[in-house]
Amino acid sequence: MSMAEPSQGNWARRFTLEALIKSTQQLELVQFVSLLTLFLAVTFPFDHWLFIITARVCLFLFLIFPIIIRKPAFWAALALSATVVTILEWATTDNHKYLLLYWLWVVVFCHAAVDPDQKRRVLVFNARFFLCFVFLAAVAQKLSSPSYRSGEMFEYFLYCDPRFTAFGKLVGIDPKVADAVQKILDFFKSPFSQVINNELLLPGTDRARIVALALTFWDISLQSLIGVLFLWRRTFTDKIAHLLLLFFVFTTYLPAPVFGFGWILAIWGLILAKDRFPKISAAYFISFPAILLYQLPWREWVLGMNS
Amino acid sequence: MNGSSDQPDHQLGFFRYSSRALIICMPIVALVIAARQVYLSNYHGLAVWKGGGMGMFASMDGQANRFAQLFITQSDGTRQPLTHLLRVQKDAIDNALNYPVRRNFLAVAKSIATIEWASSPERMPVVLIDSKGEPAGRASESYHMMAPFRPRSRDEKWKGNIQIEFWKMSYNPLTRTCHATLAQTFAFTPDEVQQ
Repeated sequence: MSMAEPSQGNWARRFTLEALIKSTQQLELVQFVSLLTLFLAVTFPFDHWLFIITARVCLFLFLIFPIIIRKPAFWAALALSATVVTILEWATTDNHKYLLLYWLWVVVFCHAAVDPDQKRRVLVFNARFFLCFVFLAAVAQKLSSPSYRSGEMFEYFLYCDPRFTAFGKLVGIDPKVADAVQKILDFFKSPFSQVINNELLLPGTDRARIVALALTFWDISLQSLIGVLFLWRRTFTDKIAHLLLLFFVFTTYLPAPVFGFGWILAIWGLILAKDRFPKISAAYFISFPAILLYQLPWREWVLGMNS
Repeated sequence: MNGSSDQPDHQLGFFRYSSRALIICMPIVALVIAARQVYLSNYHGLAVWKGGGMGMFASMDGQANRFAQLFITQSDGTRQPLTHLLRVQKDAIDNALNYPVRRNFLAVAKSIATIEWASSPERMPVVLIDSKGEPAGRASESYHMMAPFRPRSRDEKWKGNIQIEFWKMSYNPLTRTCHATLAQTFAFTPDEVQQ
């Protein structure tokens, strides 16, 4: 058997965890982050024709001339189109899409640097800054919001947000409750119904209340821990922060369909972990296909199951 | 290599005086935009989910709890609700609900004024609803249903004012009641919507 055709045993060994860890360590950081960012821009783009076309043209150019991914002008085209789209639709652009915009410019600046160390510094500094910023700013906005602190927000979303219906069913909230709440709330919205005192009793459940409070506590504690621990910049605190971030990425983006956000968080985590924590960087590596798998229509499957 | 050396360590002349600018540029931009978003959401109603802050899942106040009711009002004070909207109008309303300023609702009104609206021949009663969601009689008013008929020709002048009510819902988890509050009413004259 030739070297090009390894035996079954060799293939099996290749796909062990150790092999994965070794492979991720051998990847060149700037190149790998550029590829992941291009994939992000193409797969989870801004919902605007200008950016979608630019991202696809950039992907095409990369496939024909792979070296182009190292050129600042290549990334500037993506970043400029993202900037135009964001300016045009700034008030309807989701917060996490702004992070994609910022990150595209960071990649521009990374490739604009000539010195490889400088390139790495651009990525590492920005990855840490944005991880701290995203989580700590989110915690600040959440703690300043009465409807978040009281658990009211998650309870309301468990009833009214269709994205939460399947998750609700998994934790014991009957989808019929959400349907009933939606129907009742429609009375407010119809001009042909006038609700007395503008007040309606929702057919909520105690379980929804408990789940909402648990979600609130889980969300705020996890996010504040990640943000604070990454601020410390110590090996031990970074390690814990990475583990929590991985837990966040693996658990949050299953119910919350903001896959681009999960992807960008995993890129930042990978940048900070790659040279310091081989096993953790391998886990980040696994998180990328996991985020893609989370797009399976599992909500429909769950809602289709007999309870 | 730093910015003071003879050879630049980057390819962008814009940053030739400071290589650190390459590193800190986007964090500064992100902080400024987030501060602006917090200001706009606190003082101008911008939804916390939008505009560059970090308020995803930070508040109930967003598109999930906001809605609008649209009416064409006549000179005699009567008004008819617009019950069937085109996709472009729904998009304009979503935009306005995310950032409920007059300018955005004017865009909704202008979109409405580009269409001829047909009313149903019969008036529909308004039903009173009690707190449990059960019918509790009829209200004093009744409306014709208004639906888009065809694009309005440019020569034809739009008549009637357009009134848009911006509502917000709040939820009290202790009493499990949902309360709707009329946050603001926007009225637009024919001259405004035809500009």
